[in-house]
Amino acid sequence: MHYPWWYVPVITAPMLIAAVSIVHVLVSHYAVGGGLFLAVETAHAYRTKDREYLAYLKGHTKFFLWLTVVFGAITGVGIWWTIGLASPLATEVLIRTFVFGWATEYVFFVLEITAAFIFLYYWGRLPEKTHVAVGWIYAAAAWISLVLITGITAFMLHPGAWLNPATRSFWTGFFNPQFLPQTVARTGGALLLSSLYVYLHAAVTLRDQRLRDLIAARSARPALLGAVLILVGGAGWYSFMPESAKAALNAAAVLNVLAALIFVLTAVVFVLLYLGPYRNPGWLSPGFAGALVLFGVAAFSTGEFIREAVRKPYVVYNVVLSNQILPNEVAELRARGYLEGARPEGRSWTNAYIARHYPQVMDPANPLRIDEKKLLDLPRADQIKIGEVLFQYHCNDCHAVHFGYSPVAMMLHGRTEEMHLEMIENLDRAPFFMPPWAGTREEAKVLAAYLASISPPRPAGMAPQ
Amino acid sequence: MPPLDATQLPDLPAPFWFIQFFKVLGFLLHMVPMNLWYAGVPLAVVLYAFGGEPARRWSARLMLQMPILVAAGINLGIVPLLFLQVAYAKAFYPATILMAWFWLAVIGLLIPAYYGVYVYGSGMRNGAGAMTPLRRAAGWCSAAMFLAIGFIFANAMSLTTNPATWPELLDRHGVAGAATGTALNVADASLWPRWMLMLGLALLTTAAWTALDTVWLAAGEGDAYRRWAQRWALRLALAGAVWSTVTGAWYLFGTWRPAVYQEMLSFPAVVLTLLTAASCWAPAALLWVARQKDLAWPIAGGTAAAQFGVLTLNAISRQIVQNIELREVFRPGVSAQPTSPDWGPMALFLVVFVAGVGVLAWLFAQLAKASPPASLEAPSEPPAA
Repeated sequence: MHYPWWYVPVITAPMLIAAVSIVHVLVSHYAVGGGLFLAVETAHAYRTKDREYLAYLKGHTKFFLWLTVVFGAITGVGIWWTIGLASPLATEVLIRTFVFGWATEYVFFVLEITAAFIFLYYWGRLPEKTHVAVGWIYAAAAWISLVLITGITAFMLHPGAWLNPATRSFWTGFFNPQFLPQTVARTGGALLLSSLYVYLHAAVTLRDQRLRDLIAARSARPALLGAVLILVGGAGWYSFMPESAKAALNAAAVLNVLAALIFVLTAVVFVLLYLGPYRNPGWLSPGFAGALVLFGVAAFSTGEFIREAVRKPYVVYNVVLSNQILPNEVAELRARGYLEGARPEGRSWTNAYIARHYPQVMDPANPLRIDEKKLLDLPRADQIKIGEVLFQYHCNDCHAVHFGYSPVAMMLHGRTEEMHLEMIENLDRAPFFMPPWAGTREEAKVLAAYLASISPPRPAGMAPQ
Repeated sequence: MPPLDATQLPDLPAPFWFIQFFKVLGFLLHMVPMNLWYAGVPLAVVLYAFGGEPARRWSARLMLQMPILVAAGINLGIVPLLFLQVAYAKAFYPATILMAWFWLAVIGLLIPAYYGVYVYGSGMRNGAGAMTPLRRAAGWCSAAMFLAIGFIFANAMSLTTNPATWPELLDRHGVAGAATGTALNVADASLWPRWMLMLGLALLTTAAWTALDTVWLAAGEGDAYRRWAQRWALRLALAGAVWSTVTGAWYLFGTWRPAVYQEMLSFPAVVLTLLTAASCWAPAALLWVARQKDLAWPIAGGTAAAQFGVLTLNAISRQIVQNIELREVFRPGVSAQPTSPDWGPMALFLVVFVAGVGVLAWLFAQLAKASPPASLEAPSEPPAA
């Protein structure tokens, strides 16, 4: 209620962050690993005076630029757009904590883009050593930007010593327990994913079998190394997770299935890489390369989903809850009211909305404040509508209503209103990855009334009745 | 009173003047390439379709540079966006959430607009007959998309400083107190002159680019083109000056709130206001003075510098006006937010920034030593009617 909540039917607003982020990640890791590929291979092609390979690399650079500088860069900006819309409080906290991390990343981003354009548009116009140096500047800048953003995203899962006010600083936040494992995993991901894209591009565009075999052989080791780094980084990610995240990973069926899946997929990719491009470069057909890319993309997407999901009920662990309130506000909100907001000064969006639409529940002694007891004096239809307001702000960040992403109505078949009330008031006790209820008893009752209004009856045909 | 809430946020991590400086500087630098795609792309597609040979040369020159200009504009836009969110989130986030789908559409429009620039440019690069209907359509679509993006931005920025409308917009575009993200700020009188004023500035910047390109990069073009480009630059500059004056007067006299009016027309701010208003004539004045002679570096460089000055004054004025308009949101003022400067990370950023500038300087130095390019091919002839 610090900011207006954006209601996105069916999928919920935060899933738009996921959609944009996953698409961006699939391209941005190519931007990092592909830069390394181009720097290394261009140097090799110059050294061996392989003109055909140079011609292929120039064509690949054009494709690389088209994809990473346009789609990759803009989807990265798109993440900024979506997090500000769907998670404004968390974004505000992160920006104020890490603005200079982002500003520093930005410098490397500028170097990346500049070097990328020069690498392509001055191909054949620069001395070979200079051209290769430009490629290395791109590759280094791209990897450093990966490191910098990973420190911030890793902080969201485990802020580490930053949580202690005595040791809170940019540095403790950045060098958090998850920083190194996630950097290792993402570096591996960049090497692996970019190799898979390179294979596909070569398989589809190259007719020269010699070059295809050359690319297959030379990119196999970085790809295998990437797979190993992903597994090592993944193990570190698991080891250094907060206890609640480990528990969530182990408790939620979908998460432990997906976790197993990601390790299986990575292992499958490793085996296919070893048997294929590493041992038998001639196997690099479009179909084989396409299958590799699909497995790799599936593994990546799964990993990103898991990484986000295990943070629940937080957006930033122990700092910002997923429903855009701060954990240290909960006690105050239970006393004053969720609709009211946590601080005596200022007005929350929900307070202002209630004041406009239900002025009869405002405190006559203090017209800017809601008299919580009056909520239960309203007609039931109005209680349900206020309950819906509470649902939007307290619950809709993770739950659609009737259908879609984790629809709450589908979970409430056959429950009574009393059961809803008990669930609300014990929200974070079962299960533990739900946020704590942050409202008064009166608000819990109106929310329970709303949930009762959307709960379907127990499904028919089930025994015993 | 617009709904707002104090929260237990971290303080501002830098002195307010630091944040403000980089926000304004970033916006200024962003405006240069942004102006070129904002006015330049529509002009280029129109001139290419309906203009004579020099006009199509001009279009080709601009559009073949456009991929780099778009990349530069997007990159440079990150800076003001970052610092806007550091210090102005309380106003910026509610505004963009209320119009969320439109705001998000910027990303959805920018990707095809950028690709469209590449596609259209490929029709100019590859010789006669390469400008196919599909490539031509890509250019027109890009032009329309860039204009739409500008309209959305004008909505977002004007809504950011119009908190009085937020509750009503939430009620009209909301479900149970949550925003549906379908609002626009079209009822705000300041939206239209703000959007159009940026177009005026964009015409001026395109004029300045034309002058600079003619003397610097278009050395290989014939005299006929260079003379045409000089006249075209003057026409653009005059059109931009007239447009900026009219829309600026509309914005100032027709839409400024009393608090803004009072402050910006009182000493010392009135000096800035007058300079900002008058400066839009500087590029046209320089080009007018030199109209009888061949365009040379001093005038072209002076025009570019003058236009940079125009944009600088506009950026500073906009920021001051924005801060006045947001006093209701940030009481007693946006600069009064508590700060706890984080000197260590700031130093890291500044060191990296300086080193980055050094690397950029080295990169550009290599370009100066590069062997010359193959000449731009003549733009493909439009298909016979």
